[in-house]
Amino acid sequence: MPIYLYLDRATALHRLHPGVKILALFTIFWSIYWLDQPLALAPIGAILLLAAQYSGSWSNFYRLRWLLLLIMFFTAAVWVIFYRQGSPLLMLGPFPISRASLEFGFGRAFKLAELIAATILFLSTTRVEEFAYGLTWMGMPHRIGFAVTLAFRLAPLFIDSALDVVAAQKLRGHDFSRGGPIARMRGYAPVMVPVFMGALRKANNMAMALEARGFGHTNRPTSLVEYRFRPADWLGVLALSALGAGSFLAYLLGYGAINVGE
Amino acid sequence: MSAMKELRTMWQDTRMVVLCAISAALYAAVLIPFKVVPLIPGVTELRPANAIPVVCSFLFGPAAAWGSAIGNLVGDFFGGAGPGDFFGFFANLAYGFLPYKIWQTIGGAHSPLERSAAAFAKYLFTCLLASVLCADIVGWGDNLLGLRPFAVLGNLIVLNNMLAASVLAPFLLAAVYPRARAGRLLYDDLMPQGPRPPRGARWCGLALLIAGELGAWAAGNLISAGYWAPAFLPRAMLRAPYSGAVGVVVTPPLALAVLGVCLL
Repeated sequence: MPIYLYLDRATALHRLHPGVKILALFTIFWSIYWLDQPLALAPIGAILLLAAQYSGSWSNFYRLRWLLLLIMFFTAAVWVIFYRQGSPLLMLGPFPISRASLEFGFGRAFKLAELIAATILFLSTTRVEEFAYGLTWMGMPHRIGFAVTLAFRLAPLFIDSALDVVAAQKLRGHDFSRGGPIARMRGYAPVMVPVFMGALRKANNMAMALEARGFGHTNRPTSLVEYRFRPADWLGVLALSALGAGSFLAYLLGYGAINVGE
Repeated sequence: MSAMKELRTMWQDTRMVVLCAISAALYAAVLIPFKVVPLIPGVTELRPANAIPVVCSFLFGPAAAWGSAIGNLVGDFFGGAGPGDFFGFFANLAYGFLPYKIWQTIGGAHSPLERSAAAFAKYLFTCLLASVLCADIVGWGDNLLGLRPFAVLGNLIVLNNMLAASVLAPFLLAAVYPRARAGRLLYDDLMPQGPRPPRGARWCGLALLIAGELGAWAAGNLISAGYWAPAFLPRAMLRAPYSGAVGVVVTPPLALAVLGVCLL
């Protein structure tokens, strides 16, 4: 079962320093945060689409299309109901729907879709090791970075093991889709116990293997791969700073806000 | 040992680091493929994986707390994350830490495996407190960022976590706990235990935790749903998405709850 989103391509986005990629993710989140109106969010959406095209990440967007669409639909629906500002255009049962609530609801939907799109782009262009390296580079303690990397590496192994157990239980006649939510949830116990036990068996050996290789000897271990900060990275930092500042300026000047019209 | 010290010192032990990664990977491994019934499609679903942090918490203590936080992050990264995951990290840290920590205070002579009514009631109470604080943090954070109303996420998370903790976790715990104890993999076996905070301080912490998290939950729900408009807030804050109002009113009780955790 393929679960990693990373796509091995030789693009400038892939080659960026891991710290810059994390900064890019943060800056895009920051830039989206200040804008509410769907139209004001469009330029960032366009930047993300161009980046997806350039980095060849469309396959990941296609893979997660239903998630994106569902999130957009339900976020829009929830906020159209909860917003309750502006003069009502129509009543949806007890809920007044106004132009402002529609604008706000769709704005939130685009906002969340763009936030997720930014993450998909990040994961499509960043290896797990790069992510951990970037976090450590930004000051996160080495041991936490190691635990994050190890968790990313172990998760697919445990997923495979869980799917094997599911297949074995199905062969024995266990039906995971039978019953209501509580029965279904309880039905997962026979899957989770063997996976849990398999994981526990690994724990002691893994700890010994790590200590035998000097884990914990120093808090500043060397890395097999070193990433250098190149001119392209500085250019990236400049472009991201401009994007973040531009978005905040738009917010300060009142662009991107919803006009309630009262 | 105080709660914060435990969360810090566990990183000094290699086996605790490994158990943290294993808890995280297990959580993510069940989180990713087994999304049973969507509660709100695209927002949240019935998650059997939510039983893992509770079970791991009773086994590995603070390692499970970090594991729960990292596991949620790993799970979110496979399905697309957002800035709300920053709060999800700390919410899951609390969800994975509180069962172990609260049980130390209220569990008394009972084992989490005991099948008496009193022990099960204490177990459910422990899980409820952990679930509500988790929901408070995510609901507060997401509403603060204006992504989703507190009233939507805050309640769904409590329901979701309690279902997994009450329906699935007891079975897992009964199957796994004795084996982990036999393999000397419990937190108490791995890390030297310093003196616990005084009993009075722990009960005071528990009282603060309960008052803080219930206050935050009630205020978050009422404000974000538009049923309470505190008179002391400026008018500009009393408009959807109520980010400012939630920030001003929900933050103090939430801080009180966190102070309570520190005293446990």
